[in-house]
Amino acid sequence: MKKKIISILIAVSIIFFAWILEAGNIKERSSFHKTPLQLKIPQEWPKPPTNIFENNPLTEEGFQLGRKLFYDGRLSKDGNFSCASCHQQFAAFATYDHDFSHGFNNQFSTRNAPPLFNLAWSKFYNLDGGVNHIELQALSPLTAPNEMAENIDSVLIKLRKDVSYQKMFKAAFGTSLINSQRMLKALAQFTGSLISSDSKYDKVKRGEATFNDAEAHGYELFKARCNTCHKEPLFTDYSFRNNGLPVNKFLKDYGRMKITGDPTDSLKFKVPSLRNVSVTFPYTHDGRLYSLYKVIDHYSKGIIQSPTLDSSLRKGIPFTEEEKTDIVYFLHALNDTAFEKNKRFSQP
Amino acid sequence: MSKTSNLQHLFLCVGISFLLSFSQKTNASSDNPTIRIVFINTVKGNKIVLNDSVYVNPFNETYTISKLRYYVTNVSLQAEHNVFKEKNSYHLIDESKEETQVITFSLPPGIYSCVNFLLGVDSLHNVSGAQTNDLDPAKDMFWTWNSGYVMAKMEGNSPASKLVNNKFEFHIGGFSGPYNVLKEIHLYFPGKKISFEEGENYTIIINADINTWWQHPHDIKISEHANITSPGINAKNMSDNYAGMFHIEKIIR
Repeated sequence: MKKKIISILIAVSIIFFAWILEAGNIKERSSFHKTPLQLKIPQEWPKPPTNIFENNPLTEEGFQLGRKLFYDGRLSKDGNFSCASCHQQFAAFATYDHDFSHGFNNQFSTRNAPPLFNLAWSKFYNLDGGVNHIELQALSPLTAPNEMAENIDSVLIKLRKDVSYQKMFKAAFGTSLINSQRMLKALAQFTGSLISSDSKYDKVKRGEATFNDAEAHGYELFKARCNTCHKEPLFTDYSFRNNGLPVNKFLKDYGRMKITGDPTDSLKFKVPSLRNVSVTFPYTHDGRLYSLYKVIDHYSKGIIQSPTLDSSLRKGIPFTEEEKTDIVYFLHALNDTAFEKNKRFSQP
Repeated sequence: MSKTSNLQHLFLCVGISFLLSFSQKTNASSDNPTIRIVFINTVKGNKIVLNDSVYVNPFNETYTISKLRYYVTNVSLQAEHNVFKEKNSYHLIDESKEETQVITFSLPPGIYSCVNFLLGVDSLHNVSGAQTNDLDPAKDMFWTWNSGYVMAKMEGNSPASKLVNNKFEFHIGGFSGPYNVLKEIHLYFPGKKISFEEGENYTIIINADINTWWQHPHDIKISEHANITSPGINAKNMSDNYAGMFHIEKIIR
């Protein structure tokens, strides 16, 4: 018995000694050092409904890896189509002046590319809301045969050959393992960090600027007639609605119904944010309306009645010519040029 | 690695082995019974041979199988007073990869009566972002346009199919709402409860009869439904059918 106790004491003291050595060694062990980042929620904005970074701690290293991936054509089959080829920063990450975007082998996309910003407030992604998590969103264009036309394994093979990626994956995740989960989480760190909150409207709200007469009048009209769906301060309520456009006869795209299988979701699409709307033309889910005036005309006198038409649009939203001009002035005050030129979000 | 860290490892190893040598009797985990669950996919009692063997379904439609995969998750074993749950229990059984057809773990000794699992991926893991290992979207069991896992997949050919090259494709998924295809499977041990004893290995052989996919309770003919690849009533019906495909063939000690 005595022998046992002595041996246990020896063992415990050996472990204690090892622990002391360990303490002196911590500095070296932590050579894997990440720089944590905090998603900056603009003042007065609501909290995002979920924490998109809950299982994906936001770090500078993860963000920079995501940024490199976002601009890398190797994510597509022929190397030509990076995420950024359809999501251009100067267009608030939409495709500038295109109804449909270009994809692999001279193909068109089937919907107007949405701009990318303030994604942390969205619970669902894509215009039909088919994607339920920001980490999964990139899979959809990456594998679509008319977009990037790639498959995950093939992308990973390309990335693993690149020493700079091996280093960046190690910096972001601790080891140089390159797998789909890490690639998708890094992309989510970049796209989820794209926050646009510095338009003239925001400056007015912060007391740093004032609207001119036309903008001020436009803002009053906006609050009275548009604010239900395009809810401030994000300028969308992230709901799915039928806004009275007839179905595209070529695409037969019924929007949300494709995801839910529910006929009451026929022709419903996600309400887009109006932030940066002056650079995201053409408008609507298939880019059929080329100017803001055309969009307002549609709401004024172009609504097509159907069973799933949004109840707020049954009678249309009439605007006089002067009102149209003023509301367009206001909509231009939602443009955030600092975001569109922010070097932190540009090609590395 | 520095000198200090090598030294530290040495001390740790020596110390821990010292301690272990005195605690062997109380440390039972190394003696826990080991369980292997083996899935054998069959039609009419014959193990499936992909591509080459021709099968006949209950409607006299002949078919061959080129792909067969399904998720077995949240595996648990029912003991008398408690339930053993396998940790991180996500397994993609793939007919083309033999190593995927065996699930191995150890559990506390005791008298067990039943093996349970979920056929499919639980809803939480359908909405939690990018997953890895058997849940990696690169396993080709994930819908990129309508987030969610394909819970079970069978592809093949049949002269009864009117699709191109007489193909049929069943990608069965949907984790919420009326067309949820998730199935809880409970398989009682044949005949009696079994005492899993310390230091022993047990193999539970589960037979999956693929011909159940076509019938009971819903008749699904290849001539009528050769392509079920999105969530909905047809996928739900097929899952109602295949929920009955498993039975425990035998348990070997």
